[in-house]
Amino acid sequence: MPVPPQTKQVSEVVWEIPTSYKQGMNVPARIYATKKLLEGMDQGVIEQVTNVASLPGIQRYSYAMADAHWGYGFPIGGVAAFDPEEGVISPGGIGFDINCGMRLIRTNLRLKEVRPKVKELVDLLFQLVPTGVGVKGFVKVNQSSFEEVMRWGVKWCGENGYGWDEDARMVEEGGFIKGADPSKVSRQASSRGIQQMGTLGSGNHYLEIQVVDPTRFFDAKMGKNFGLVHDDQVVIMIHCGSRGFGHQIGSDYLRIFDGAMKRYGIEVRDRELACAPFSSKEGQDYYGAMACAANMAFANRQVIVHRVREAFQKVFRQDPEALDMHIVYDVCHNVAKVERHSLDGASRELVVHRKGATRSFGPGHQDIPAPYRQMGQPVIIGGSMETGSYLLLGTARAMADTFGSTAHGSGRTMSRTAARKEVNGETLQRSMEKKGIYVKAATYDGLAEEAGMAYKDISEVVETMHEAGISLKVAALRPIGNIKG
Amino acid sequence: MKRPYRYRFLPEVALADVAFAAVGESPGSLFEACAVALTEVMVDRKTVRPAVVRQVRIRTNDVDGLLYDFLTQLIVLKDVDSLLFRRFEPRLSRDRRSLMCRLAGEPIDRERHRLRNDVKAVTMHMFGVRHEGALWKATVVLDI
Repeated sequence: MPVPPQTKQVSEVVWEIPTSYKQGMNVPARIYATKKLLEGMDQGVIEQVTNVASLPGIQRYSYAMADAHWGYGFPIGGVAAFDPEEGVISPGGIGFDINCGMRLIRTNLRLKEVRPKVKELVDLLFQLVPTGVGVKGFVKVNQSSFEEVMRWGVKWCGENGYGWDEDARMVEEGGFIKGADPSKVSRQASSRGIQQMGTLGSGNHYLEIQVVDPTRFFDAKMGKNFGLVHDDQVVIMIHCGSRGFGHQIGSDYLRIFDGAMKRYGIEVRDRELACAPFSSKEGQDYYGAMACAANMAFANRQVIVHRVREAFQKVFRQDPEALDMHIVYDVCHNVAKVERHSLDGASRELVVHRKGATRSFGPGHQDIPAPYRQMGQPVIIGGSMETGSYLLLGTARAMADTFGSTAHGSGRTMSRTAARKEVNGETLQRSMEKKGIYVKAATYDGLAEEAGMAYKDISEVVETMHEAGISLKVAALRPIGNIKG
Repeated sequence: MKRPYRYRFLPEVALADVAFAAVGESPGSLFEACAVALTEVMVDRKTVRPAVVRQVRIRTNDVDGLLYDFLTQLIVLKDVDSLLFRRFEPRLSRDRRSLMCRLAGEPIDRERHRLRNDVKAVTMHMFGVRHEGALWKATVVLDI
C-alpha cells in the first residue's frame, strides 16, 4: 500500500496521519506497524482509519493496530473512543459478530501425555461442539431463559450447570456487560440465536488444543501467575462469538442507523459507518441490544468450555478439577464499552469501540480479576491454525496511549477465493498432520481458506505491539489439535 | 432455455469475506441472481433439492432496503429453519418497495449437501441497486 506522504513516523512502530490528509478528519489517525507491516497493509486501512477519524465526537486518535486490514466502515484492527454526549456509537465499529472473542483454558497435562490422545480428543470435541453451516447448539433454551442469557451471560451458565462458580470472574466484564436490554432485540434476532447456544460457527472460528512453546516462553514468571508452569503445558483456546444472534442485531441496527443519520444530520463517507449519537434513543437501543449479543457470546464460549471439560474427563478419566482446567481468561475483540480513561489530564467516561482489537488493561485496573490485578490483564491473540497463538500482558502504556487496547490476531493477506485456489483442503490436512497438528473441519474448502499462508505473520504483529509497549509477550502457544467450522 | 444467472465473485474487494456483482434484465431477475450467488457461498446449490416450498413477503422503503432484507431473510431461514434453497422466484411490486418470493429447497443435510461458508450478514459496504440502461445491477459484500 502506498503510504500517504504526510505520514509522520512517531516511533519505530507508530505512524501518524495528520488531519490535513482528508477533509473532515476531527483527529489524526495512528497506525501501529513495522515499516514492513505498514507497507503490506491494504489501501482500505488508510481510507477507513481516516474515515473513522471524521466521525463526530471521536477522541485523541483513530487507531489501526498491527493486524489491521480492510473491514466494513471501520478497519478490522480498529480502535476509536467517543465522547458519550457529543459522540456516536456505530455497529460498523464493532462488527457483525458482536463479542467475537478468545478464551484460554489451562490444564496440568503435558505434551507427552496428550500427544497420544490428540486424535481421540479432537474427534470427540468435533462430535460435542457443533460446527459449520446452519448447525443447532447443544443447549436448549426457551425465549424466557434466552432472555436471561442475554442479561447475565456466563452467570446464567453457572446457575444452569454449565461451569464452575469461579468461571465468570475470569472473563472480561465478569462474564456479562451491564445494560443489556432484551426488549431492544428483534424477534428475528432471538429466533436466530436461540438455537445456536453451543455452536462454534465457521469462517476463522476454531477450538484448538495447544502447547506452550518451550522455545518461546518469554516470561515464565508471568506465565506462572497465569497458571502456566511448564514449558510444554497443554492449554485449550476457543475463538467464537455471538453467532447468528449478534449478526442479526448488527443487520437490524445497520438498517435503523442508515435511516436515523439524516435525522441527526450526520453524514458519513461509507454506509457501513452508519452511526447514531450514543445518547440518542437509537444509540441507547443499539447499546442495549449489543450488550445482549455480547452476553450471549460470553455464554456461548462458556457452554463450549463445559463441553471441553467433559471431553477431557472422558479421554483422561479424571475430573476436570483434577486436570486443573481453569479458565485463564476470556477477551472480547468485537465490542463497544463504556470505560473510564484518562484524557487531557482528566478521568472521563468514553465509548470505546474495538473491532478486531483487544482490551489490554494495565496493572492495578479494578476491572482485572483479583488474581491478576497487580500484574495486568491477560491478552489472548489468536493466530492461524498453522502458526499458533500468543498469551500477552496488558500494560500501563496501553492505558496511556491506546485507551487500553492492542491487536487481536494475525489478519488476512489473501482472499478466501485465492486461498482456495492455492491450497487443497485435504492436502493441507495431511501436511498439517505431518507437522503434528491434527485438524478436523466441517468442510475442506473452509479448511483451505484458513491456511496459514492466507494470514500475516502473527509473530511480527505481536513483536510490533511488544515494541510499542501496549502488550507484552508472555508465551507463544503452538497448535497440536484443532476443530474448525 | 433459461439464461444462466449473471453474477461474479469479486475476490479483490473483501479479503476476509465474499463480495459479488450481479446483473439482471429486470429487478426480479437481479434479485434472483443475488439469491443464487448468496446461496452458492453457503452451499453447492446443485446438491440442494427443491423439495420444500416457502414463501416470503417483504415490504420496505426503497429497492436497496428490499434487496438487503430479502438476502437477510435467506440467511435467517438457514439459521432458524436450517433451510437452503435451490430455486427463487421473486416478484417485485411496481414501486419496488415490496416483494413476494417463492423459494424451493430443503433442510440442510450434512451428508448430501456440499456445504461451504456460514454467511453472517449482508453488509452495507458498496451495497446498492442501480438501473443502468436496460440492466439492473447490484454489488453485495457478505460478512463471513
